[in-house]
Amino acid sequence: MNFDFGRVALVLLFAIVPIGGIILGIRAPALRSRIPIMVGFLAGLVPIVSLYVPKNFISGPTGMSPRLDQWLIILAGFALLLGIVNVLQTSIRKITRREAGWPFAVVLLAGLFSTGSFGIHGAISGQGIGFLPDGSPTPFKYMADWFFLPLQSTIFSLLAFFMASAAFRAFRARNTEATILLVAAGLIMAGRVPLLELFALPFPGLQPAAAGASQFLGRTTEWIMDTPNGAAQSGIIIGAALGAASMAIRVILGIERGYLGLGKGE
Amino acid sequence: MAPPHIGIWIAAFLTLACFTFLYKDNPFFRFAESLFAGVSLGYYVGIVLNQTLMPNLFEPMGENFGLNWDLVVPGLLGVLLFMRYVTKFGWVSRYALAIYVTYYIGVEFTRKLHGEVMPQLGRLIRPITSLDPATLVSSVYIAGVLSVLVYFFFSKEQDAVTKRISRLGIYFLMISFGAAFGFTVMGRVALLIGRLNFLILDWIYPTLGI
Amino acid sequence: MAGFFDRMLTLDRRWIFLFVFLSVAIPIIIPIGLPVTTTGSTRSAFEFIEALQEGDIVWISFDYGPSSAPENDPMAEAIMRQCALKKLRFVVDVLYPLGGLQLANNAIGKIAEEFPKLRYGVDYVNLGYKDGAAAVMRRLGEDIAGAFPTDVNGTPLAQIPMMQGLKSLRQVKLVFTAATGLIGEWWITQVHSQIGIPVIIGPTAVSAPKYYAFLNSGQLVGMLGGMKGAAEYEKLLRGRYPQMAKFYKTTRDFTATKGMDAQTVLHTIILMFILLGNYAYFRQRAKAARA
Repeated sequence: MNFDFGRVALVLLFAIVPIGGIILGIRAPALRSRIPIMVGFLAGLVPIVSLYVPKNFISGPTGMSPRLDQWLIILAGFALLLGIVNVLQTSIRKITRREAGWPFAVVLLAGLFSTGSFGIHGAISGQGIGFLPDGSPTPFKYMADWFFLPLQSTIFSLLAFFMASAAFRAFRARNTEATILLVAAGLIMAGRVPLLELFALPFPGLQPAAAGASQFLGRTTEWIMDTPNGAAQSGIIIGAALGAASMAIRVILGIERGYLGLGKGE
Repeated sequence: MAPPHIGIWIAAFLTLACFTFLYKDNPFFRFAESLFAGVSLGYYVGIVLNQTLMPNLFEPMGENFGLNWDLVVPGLLGVLLFMRYVTKFGWVSRYALAIYVTYYIGVEFTRKLHGEVMPQLGRLIRPITSLDPATLVSSVYIAGVLSVLVYFFFSKEQDAVTKRISRLGIYFLMISFGAAFGFTVMGRVALLIGRLNFLILDWIYPTLGI
Repeated sequence: MAGFFDRMLTLDRRWIFLFVFLSVAIPIIIPIGLPVTTTGSTRSAFEFIEALQEGDIVWISFDYGPSSAPENDPMAEAIMRQCALKKLRFVVDVLYPLGGLQLANNAIGKIAEEFPKLRYGVDYVNLGYKDGAAAVMRRLGEDIAGAFPTDVNGTPLAQIPMMQGLKSLRQVKLVFTAATGLIGEWWITQVHSQIGIPVIIGPTAVSAPKYYAFLNSGQLVGMLGGMKGAAEYEKLLRGRYPQMAKFYKTTRDFTATKGMDAQTVLHTIILMFILLGNYAYFRQRAKAARA
């Protein structure tokens, strides 16, 4: 058995301590929030310290940080599946109580169980979720290619229609700021596509002038994106990043506990 | 041109079912929407199991438990996450949740400072060694960044000077939001182009033998 | 005339939807062939890859799903074609959970058919999808096998010839990420800032404006912004490698260049809508002020 420092330290901190915390928490409800916050503090500290402390015990090949990265890849997989239980509970309740729209809950569960079971079969049988040895697609790939991909693409493509409708009905130059926004949007929309070449299509004589004007418009658009837009985005990035970094410190230190479902003082 | 196979017919039907929402809400759209939700979740199951849990958790432990014995811990922590749905023992999931959230928050902390604040400030702090067009453009850039930062400073009430600087920041932000709107239109339209390309060229044309 | 503009302000939005539908459908049925002009950020990306040497490794990350496939698919395909033409080796991974793997597999399948001399495991590898993008990026910087013990088919990396010499991302010359959302940004702010590997990003148009700040700060080598960026790259590729024109001439397969026709027509329509809507609004305001 491999007992290098990284593995042992991680098991101690993130397995033994939580087990102890769970046992203590059964008796003392006050510890049900305090010990997880302490464990969270240690988990948040490892990736930060590993960047600044180039010592073997934390960032070396047998250190804590590399192994914790591998653990969190696995934990992220479980986290992605967390929402499924909630959806199952809601859908089953809807069906058993015959609430409004319950047949669609049946459709949802049918989609979930069919695709999910094809995926589970692929994992257990070793077939995978790509192609079978004879070159034909696995059932999972078939569902993904002809159900999942078209549905996902089309649901999002509906936004184009609503965007055009919103642009027509709501985009008004009511004041200075809105006018600047409108003019910038118009310049970008005109400069990023060969708009003037489209207008000049029926007039061959105008096409060279249209091409020249289009290039000028394109360069203006690029300048707008590089300079005023770049500056504003840089300001937003700096401000948001400083805010996020301070929030990260608050979460790691246990000042912010909302993510655990705890309010202030709990 | 070969006629479209059943998969294309299924995809075309589901695409049109989604588009019917544009006229009004109807059972075809709701069917497609519910199927989308279910198939997406089933897709998650397949992809996580086959691409993460098998190669990173079960197979390493199965092939060489001596080297990978510690992977039992993230496996158990993952199962512990689901305890939040057990009313009496939901508090137990806090351990897994705390490790998951604070680890990624720790990574986020380093990413924000090293990857965003420092490089962006580095772009901002440039010496003015000559008066040429590049320096003028750079000055506009610096003025933009600083005025936007002043606008977002809410810890103190703004006085007459900072109000004017904020106003300049707002103008820069409006240009940026206008540009973002223009790009967003491009982005959304591109999705529609893709779908109509499929419907017309991959379904209708082969069906009609064009 | 006055009544027309007043009616315009209360127009049923389903008429607008019909206009939008026709603006996109007609250029697909009757291609126009409008020209595409290139921008500096796309040219820098192209020239950077052109400057790489035969045998250099490019890391291509599919960080998008079907919700942005018409924008990102052409980018990823163009980059892979360029790698194949320049005999650069490429490693593909997927960090976006919702559909990224299917799109990566489809794109690689397409390129493998176009370039039958490419050998899997020697010239390119598909590592598949992995959860926990940020944790994966941290591992890739030190030990690729720590994040991806096997390729997409379950073959251990130690058995793949190309991966035997490639232990960490530091040996790679470039990372290209076709991205929707934050994962693409993490390649810049986490991988580039901590390891220093050059990054080219192919974001969706929705997130492209933000990346100009990263271009200005030198954190990006180049950017392909949305479908326009993909169309620009396709033009540069055809210009440098005329034999590539056959993949972009077909009327069947979707390419970004073809998509720009519909994009242009719809932009024109939307700009007209905005102008008409504002004209009608100001007319109404003036009428109210007079009253």
